[in-house]
Amino acid sequence: MTMKRHAAILVPLALVAGVACKKEPPPPPPPPPVTAPPTTMPAPVSVTTVTLGSAIGADKRVTAPSEAFGARDTIYAVVDTGGAGHATLRALWTFVKGDKTAKVDETTMEIDATGPAVNEFHVSKPSGWPKGNYKVEIFLNDAATPAATKTFKVS
Amino acid sequence: MAPQDKDDDMPDFSDVQSGASSTAPAAEVHETYEIKPGDSLSKIAKRVYGDAREWKRIFEANTDVIKDPDKIFPGQKIKIPAKETEEGGEGR
Repeated sequence: MTMKRHAAILVPLALVAGVACKKEPPPPPPPPPVTAPPTTMPAPVSVTTVTLGSAIGADKRVTAPSEAFGARDTIYAVVDTGGAGHATLRALWTFVKGDKTAKVDETTMEIDATGPAVNEFHVSKPSGWPKGNYKVEIFLNDAATPAATKTFKVS
Repeated sequence: MAPQDKDDDMPDFSDVQSGASSTAPAAEVHETYEIKPGDSLSKIAKRVYGDAREWKRIFEANTDVIKDPDKIFPGQKIKIPAKETEEGGEGR
């Protein structure tokens, strides 16, 4: 009885030991694939929207959007940009009379955007704006064509 | 008086004041001005800043196109740095 009991215990142990001895060490994990790390280059600055108004808040956003102004108004063009990096924004303000145009003002601003930004350009004329039609074109970097154009009226 | 390079039918916008600012850091603002006959840096500084002695600010911002402050030419486009106390600030 005792012998049988010992045998009953030893046999499974031997089997386990045998299996354990036969088992080869697991192969080393394969080296990680050699690929370039994912590039997380931010998108370059782009113009998303342009809003006109006669006043802006502390956040530089137009408080009351409008495309019609009075002669004594300061006129704001608020340019929302997305993306990040260095960019040059240029606002070209023009008076339009029929097929003739006259340059009103041209202002350039260089920014180092880290993300979405609010950029405002403004013009005023102490002697009063002549009545008529105007436009403001927003150029990004060295582009020859505007990224956005807004027309407005002074009456 | 310096001759004006403008269409007689069109209004005069020479007294327009402008500025810009941004929520983005390191915003640098300047106006672009095209030199007209009869202009000098001190005349431009007087008109823009109200002080002819500020001509050095304009010269220093344009050393890439102006080598001699006494020699500027009609048609040259120069940068006019924004007034430091201008409405809206520069976003710096």
